[in-house]
Order: sequence, then C-alpha cells, then structure tokens
Amino acid sequence: MSPNGGTPGTRAIIFDGLWHNNPVFRQILGICSTLAVTNLVLNTLVMCAALTMVLAASSLTVSLLRKFTPRNIRMMVQTLVIAFYVIIVDTSLRGYWPDMSAALGPYVGLIITNCIIMGRCEAFAGTNKPFGALTDGFFNGLGYSLLLLAIAIPRELLGMGSILGFPMPYFSGAWDRWIIMVMPPGAFFTLAVIVWICRAIKPREEKIA
Amino acid sequence: MREKPWFAVAYMFAVTAFFSFIVIGLARVTAERVRRNEQLAFERAVLMALQMAQGKTAEQIHQTFVEMIEPVQGENNYGLIRDGELAAYAVGFSGRGFWAPIRGVIGIEPDRQTVIGIAFYDQKETPGLGGEIVGQTFRRQFENLKLNPGPRPIEFRPFGATLDSHQVHAITGATQTCTRLEHLMNEDINEWLRIVAQEDTK
Repeated sequence: MSPNGGTPGTRAIIFDGLWHNNPVFRQILGICSTLAVTNLVLNTLVMCAALTMVLAASSLTVSLLRKFTPRNIRMMVQTLVIAFYVIIVDTSLRGYWPDMSAALGPYVGLIITNCIIMGRCEAFAGTNKPFGALTDGFFNGLGYSLLLLAIAIPRELLGMGSILGFPMPYFSGAWDRWIIMVMPPGAFFTLAVIVWICRAIKPREEKIA
Repeated sequence: MREKPWFAVAYMFAVTAFFSFIVIGLARVTAERVRRNEQLAFERAVLMALQMAQGKTAEQIHQTFVEMIEPVQGENNYGLIRDGELAAYAVGFSGRGFWAPIRGVIGIEPDRQTVIGIAFYDQKETPGLGGEIVGQTFRRQFENLKLNPGPRPIEFRPFGATLDSHQVHAITGATQTCTRLEHLMNEDINEWLRIVAQEDTK
C-alpha cells in the first residue's frame, strides 16, 4: 500500500525495490545473508537467484491467498509459504545441481529466515493485487542482489585476487591479498562502505508530521 | 466467517496439507536422483584421491569405480585393484568439521606411507574460508606426502612455515576447520594403520 492508501504503479514499485526503498541499504534487512555469502561472487549469484525466486513466488502466493487468509494467522501462513518455496529450491538444487548445493551448504535453508521475504509479504503482498505483489517481490529481490554483488565483487577481488574464480590481472599476482576481506570482518567493513556510499547518493527524505 | 476460530484452524490444516503434498511429491520424485548424486560424489572422491578422475564423465567414473575399486580392511576403506593385485588404498575419513561433518578420502600407495592425494565428498565449511579445503591449492599439498609414524601422520602448519615431508600449510582464516580436519584425518588414518598391521600379523 502506498502512503496515501492506493496501490502504487508498477514503475514506482520497481524503483522502490531497486533503489528508493532498497531492502539492504535503506531498510537494513537481510543483513545475515549479506554478511555470510558475499565472500565469493558465484555463491552470491546463486543465493541472489534463489532469494529472488522465493521472494517473488512467496509474494504472489500470499497475495493470491490474501482474501481467504484470516488476519490472526496470516504470519503462520506466510512462513509456511516461504518455507515451501525454499524447500522446492533446496530439493531442486540437491537433485539437479549438486555441486552448487554443496557449495552453498546451509545458506539455502536459511533463506526461510531472511527478513526481506517476510517483510515484503507482510508490508505489501498481503494487501495488494497479485501482479503488483509479484513485481514488488521480484524487484526487491533484484535490489537485494545488486547490493550483494556490489559487496561480493570487491571482497573476492581484494581477498582472493579473482572474480567468479577467474584470476584477475594484478590482483592475482603482485597484489598482496587482504585475507580479512573474505573473513567476517571484511563483510562488515564492505557493507558499511557500500551503505555509506548509497545513502550519500540518496539521503533519506524524512517527512516531519 | 474468516475471523471465526474454527475457520483459522481448518484453513491452516488445508493450506499445510496442500503445500506438504507438493513438497513430499517433489522429494519422492528427486529422491533417487539425490541418492545417485551422493553415491557419485563419493565415487568421484575415491578416484580423485587416487588421481584417476581427471577428464572422466559421471558414467566413466561410475564404471571405473565398479570395475577397479573394492572394499578392503575396515569400514569405508577401499582398494584399487589392477590385474588382481592391490595397487593403492583409498582410506575414508570423517568427523565433525566447524559447521557440519566433513567426509573425505585419502589415497595411499601400497607402501602405506606415500600419499597419492585427497578429496572430499561432503563438507559444509564456510565458503571461501574453511570451504577452501576442497580447492586444488590446498589438496595438491598432499600429493607425495610421507605419513609420519606416530600419533600425527599428517601435520598442519601455519601458512609460510617451513614444511617437513609429512606437513602441509593450513588455510589462513580457517583455523577451526584445519584443526578439526587434521584431528579427524589422523584419527582415521591411525585406525586404518592399526587394522592393516593386525591383518599382517594374522
């Protein structure tokens, strides 16, 4: 629902998810996975694809069920829907892409606990039409993915000297690798710098009542 | 009606049953494929530890495993059989890693001292840190290593330290994974050495 009570247009939903109301740098949601998976770009890409798929599908399903779901059990239903799609992704990876399933380890299962999904289901999908909810879910997933990639690329480059596992000129040779970048403290430093840059470009426009 | 207590209970049952039905269906459809993937990962690890997996497709790996690998002394230990003779050992090792169990295989020459290689078929260590145990850089260190007689046949040393013939460099930033891996590998290698020594005295 938009601030004035109406359904926002598709264009507004897209730009909100990608930038104006970006889940990572504006809402500071999904930070656990942001810190955990961004030390390798490939793992980040697969995590982003899985999260975007789960977020879009969950938003669509919650929106489709919104007229039947009793308000007092809506969060149980949302959790069930999210868990359902996460299990579908996890089972599919184990069956059809075992190498990636092994590389991501426990992270896929942890998508269930990603607060962005529950946040979008609760804040948007539960009160909006299916197409808007699907668009909102997809573009919030994309907004999350963009930020994660912006964090993962410098971390892998400076920490391992590679991008997507391919050695990069200078960074794989003469560069003295900053191992701390692929360790947990590196995630905090990079996240802080990226959030700082994004918020400097787009400061919060608080409306004082 | 939507806000009546009985409706909430009935609705939750119906929604849960619907989604569970689909999840159980998918799990059943993929169960055989998942089992085959796990078996193939194990067979690939055995052949990688024996330096025999290079350039082989999944079918070739399975074929080679069936034709040339046989169980030998102890649980999860295998032997490479060439012309009816034992040409190498593939010793399984497993134990608790940092996050979850680590399972792998170490290939050893018939002299029971020279390492051919190591490979892993199950681990959930931190990607980019402990997860680097599956990377070539770490695994290559084990090639031609000489097992040391004593409680620590293989020893992990900090990165940059001068190495003896039974030592390898640990991974910087993955202290817990390396400590646990060193412990579990040595435990299972010692157990295997004890079993083969017993067999020799029979």
